[in-house]
Amino acid sequence: MNAILTVLAAASLTNVFPQIAPKNHYSFGGSNMLAAQIQQGAPADVFASANTNLPEQLHEQGLVEKPVVFTRNELILIVPKANPAGIHSVFDLRKAGVKLVVGAVGVPVGDYTRVVLHNLGLDDVLSNVVSNETDVREVLAKVALGEADAGFVYVTDARTVRGRVATIGIRWSAQPIVQYAAAVVKSSRHLAAARAFVHALVGPVAQRKLRAAGFLARR
Amino acid sequence: MIRKGIVWIAALAALAFIALPIVAIFARLSFGGLSGSVVSDALVVSLKTTFAAQALVLALGTPTAYVLATHRFPGRSLVVTLVELPIVLPPAVAGIGLLAAFGRAGLLHTGLPFTQAAVVVAVAFVSGPLYVRQAIAAFESVDETMVAASRTLGAGPVKTFFRVVLPLARGGLGAGEAIAFARGLGEFGATIMFAGSLQGVTQTLPLAVYQEFDVNFHTALALGALLVAVSAALLVTLKWLASSSTSTFRFAASSSG
Repeated sequence: MNAILTVLAAASLTNVFPQIAPKNHYSFGGSNMLAAQIQQGAPADVFASANTNLPEQLHEQGLVEKPVVFTRNELILIVPKANPAGIHSVFDLRKAGVKLVVGAVGVPVGDYTRVVLHNLGLDDVLSNVVSNETDVREVLAKVALGEADAGFVYVTDARTVRGRVATIGIRWSAQPIVQYAAAVVKSSRHLAAARAFVHALVGPVAQRKLRAAGFLARR
Repeated sequence: MIRKGIVWIAALAALAFIALPIVAIFARLSFGGLSGSVVSDALVVSLKTTFAAQALVLALGTPTAYVLATHRFPGRSLVVTLVELPIVLPPAVAGIGLLAAFGRAGLLHTGLPFTQAAVVVAVAFVSGPLYVRQAIAAFESVDETMVAASRTLGAGPVKTFFRVVLPLARGGLGAGEAIAFARGLGEFGATIMFAGSLQGVTQTLPLAVYQEFDVNFHTALALGALLVAVSAALLVTLKWLASSSTSTFRFAASSSG
């Protein structure tokens, strides 16, 4: 059972997955990009997505086994420490000229961001978007570098650049349901090991590490 | 005979390897992939930024190349190496470098990132050196006796440059510019890092291919086919220019000999 698995995982799992299983080979990126790679026949053993609909879709297409929800997350607004645009609440994003960076449509964090803005009645804020990024870590980098004025990321991403960004919380009632689901890729040559990995994700050790990184209980 | 057969098999395998991905793009192409605002917006952004960048490359690169080709000074080879460096630099490094230099938090504190001007800067940075390198070679191969003759006949340095040097170097300059144009059109890494990706503003054709890959594979294929067609047209132009440049050189050699 000591097969080295190839795991395609959401970019927001970049820091925590190697802590859970250091030996695996990881390819982190936007979940939608990873799903497209699986559809094009990329060799992989496990797919871990920052939403449930992408693995469900692959499951319906017969490409992966039944997905398992293993954790949850929340969205947060981040601004560079220097806060050049003077943003102190999500409603400040309406100011003209704010350089807002978000995930692209189709990228989980991009879709969640649009849900949050809609829930807050801030759809018009999208006119301040200066870049649609391909995964959450690109959003994080552009804000942490100080190039963008603000960006929406997961709570867990913001924790990885503490000291370089300030965070602004989003009220609970506006939060989307951010569930992560993992599934065994049916074409895997290490099916048993892949199933064991997915099973272990909901086990106590992995759950403790996910919580330590700021992820939420899977409920 | 056996050895000859192996050579043929190797050559055919290599040809198939190069042709297959290009053929596959067109084989899997479906009609309608090119409709939609993503494609037209990306095409407009790509054309605007590529032409602006190449205008910049020609305007600044031509005098730079001429000075480097006609002057010998200490440290010249170092300068030439520096000019050529972006050619071999990984695009991601170019992107980081541009951010570190021209980013808001960079050395010069410009507000360039996320603007269309940032795309122009990224494209000029990665493609310009290809033109300059070729232009230096083109200017160096201009027959000095032709230049001297022009000066003896009373033409000033500026007139000599435009009437003698430029026409003689034309083929080489055109070939260099075609390569730079093609490289600029395909620019991806430095652009996405330095300029970001926003439809209608900074999203060029290659960036749109990348985004559409997971949203709509058919659109990505159509965009890919569009880029193949434009690039192939460029290559044909390049070959045509290269052949016209050899005839120019032949003319120069015979008349000076």
